[in-house]
Amino acid sequence: MLRIRLHGRGGQGIKTASQILGTAAFLSGYQAQDFPLYGAERRGAPIIAFSRINSDPILERGPILLPDLLLIADETLLEDAQAAPLCGSDSETVVFVNSAKTPENLKEKFSLPSLPVTCKLTELCLKHLKNGMLRSTALAAAGVRLTGLIPFENLMESVEIELEAMGITGQPLKNNLELAQEIFEKLNPRTIKDREERPLSPTKLMIMEQRDVKDAAPFITATGNMAQRKTGNWRIHRPEIDYGECNHCMICYARCPEGVITMDTEGKPVIDYDHCKGCMICAQECPKHSIKTLWEMDHELEPQ
Amino acid sequence: MNSNLNKKRMLTGNKAAAWGARLAGIEYVPAFPITPQTEIVETLSQWFADDTLRGKLTNMDSEHSMFMAAGAAAATGVRVFTASSSQGILHGLESIYTVAGWRVPFVMVNVSRALATPITLEPDHNDVMATRDCGLIQLHAETCQEVLDFVLMGYKIAEHPLVSIPVLVNLDGFVLSFSREPVVIPDKKAALEFLPPIKPAQPVFRASKPMARASAVFGGGTYTYFRIQQDLAVRQAETVFNETAQEFAERFGRTYKPIEQFQMNDAEIAFVMSNSFATKGKSAVLKLRRQGIKAGLVKLCMFRPFPRKAMAQALSGCQKVAVIDQNLAPGMGGITYPEIVTALYGQKNRPGKILSVIGGLGGKDIREDDFLSIVEKLSDTESNMPLYLFDEGDWNQFQQLQKIALV
Repeated sequence: MLRIRLHGRGGQGIKTASQILGTAAFLSGYQAQDFPLYGAERRGAPIIAFSRINSDPILERGPILLPDLLLIADETLLEDAQAAPLCGSDSETVVFVNSAKTPENLKEKFSLPSLPVTCKLTELCLKHLKNGMLRSTALAAAGVRLTGLIPFENLMESVEIELEAMGITGQPLKNNLELAQEIFEKLNPRTIKDREERPLSPTKLMIMEQRDVKDAAPFITATGNMAQRKTGNWRIHRPEIDYGECNHCMICYARCPEGVITMDTEGKPVIDYDHCKGCMICAQECPKHSIKTLWEMDHELEPQ
Repeated sequence: MNSNLNKKRMLTGNKAAAWGARLAGIEYVPAFPITPQTEIVETLSQWFADDTLRGKLTNMDSEHSMFMAAGAAAATGVRVFTASSSQGILHGLESIYTVAGWRVPFVMVNVSRALATPITLEPDHNDVMATRDCGLIQLHAETCQEVLDFVLMGYKIAEHPLVSIPVLVNLDGFVLSFSREPVVIPDKKAALEFLPPIKPAQPVFRASKPMARASAVFGGGTYTYFRIQQDLAVRQAETVFNETAQEFAERFGRTYKPIEQFQMNDAEIAFVMSNSFATKGKSAVLKLRRQGIKAGLVKLCMFRPFPRKAMAQALSGCQKVAVIDQNLAPGMGGITYPEIVTALYGQKNRPGKILSVIGGLGGKDIREDDFLSIVEKLSDTESNMPLYLFDEGDWNQFQQLQKIALV
């Protein structure tokens, strides 16, 4: 059984990537299962999806705790304690990261269990799809190639099936197929061995005792604790105020749905980048167009 | 196109439910959105819009109206489908009791999701257990294939002249509703032969032919008569299920029984489970066997009517049984546990120990290692308390959150 876990952000097509992988494996004659894990998430929030590929029927469901292949769509996830993309991985896990950094650099910076495989997927998306946001096709193509189980034509057919199901046809579909082809040709398959079955060992179950109602019911008495959740790394785009142009009209301050723009003592708007989710409403609303939209991850990419 | 795709397709549990309804040729769908069932209605809505399905999908103002509309439409003799989940099905509960008493046949899907409080989106079975006593037939699905097949079979059972009761098909939210796996989609013609267009076995509402079917009764005797009839009809559904399953197997090659036995031939320890987590149970059974423990699994596919005899036969002779309930009746424990104990009462070879296990609440995983813990607990001395699957890891995680939540 090959267990693949995909980590990305809402809007990057992580669910669809897991489905392209699942369908490609299915077309290649394997048993396949794919499953996204999300509920109340939104654009930019960490998202997980899973694909299982096996020759025999799959007697597993739900999350994958011990991944054989990790596909990480966005290197900022490696710093996010809640996304914890490396959770459960070990030295046998093949780790793929969409990044412009070298594998050595990434391994050191994020203490990865092994040297990762990298590819500049964002750049390739920009080239083929004229959009620097990572798309499902790119991550799925990388995954398909790394497994070494799936022939090229089944990847192409799977991309076609899954994207057409979402209404993507004609030139945009062609662009996606070209993107998948380039990634497939760029990467080499990795040897992923079947894990040996680990004998079962009993879990340490708690003996439950009754506690006082204040500890037993879902109270939240620490008000304002939402700020502890830093959502700054949800950003795909980064708003940047050009203070030379800004006339302090306060429209961005009024329109920010997250309340992360404050006015400083000189009356200038200041963005709290720890919490700004990059919705870019401020840039849309600024009457003087003095808020620029930058790519968050690859600053060398041109502004949109 | 690859030949594999001609026979099977990758479908989520939700899509499989929609496909079951499509192959049944449904004519009316009252709808109201709720996670995680929305994809079912979304899919049907698309099919009505592009004329794949002929009929009407109506967005209602609540689940209470939705179930009432489903019953009212079924009372006109058309084929009706609807779906809900969690808080939604609870909101519709009054209507579900009401239309079940009308004895109208239709199929509803419940995509299981735990109930508030605290509120969550993830699965457990308290929502479907709340409809336990409504007078519905309940079929619980483990796989996406079962979802499709049970919806199709559901209409045949619901519309049987000796039954005429709504059928509820249950699937787990997220774990099955959003999971895709290969599903055989029966041929349209074969489905139509198995399930021809509806021919109501009872009087139906027609223009200019006044009729009532929800009379008020007083004094108790008449009320009791109708209620007993309802009980007998739901009980009858077990025989009708078996007949329907036999015809289904002949036509489509897939065999279903009210309860499924997995590795039970020589089992000394049995787990009783239902729905999608039974897959995890089967995997654990195979691993336990490789570790020298003769385990087996009994899967409850039909929950109403309760297949008492079949359950007793499956578990008789087995020394130890663990009933894993993914639901909780506070002050009592697992909801299916007492039903299974009742089924075994009076059996000569009944198990020496029947343990109630509470696990998989609110989307909490039941891990393979948990099954070994259950096996160990089965050797312990008697305790009146259920075994809660809550471990030190869960406790540590809870404490971390509690630190953030409390001053």
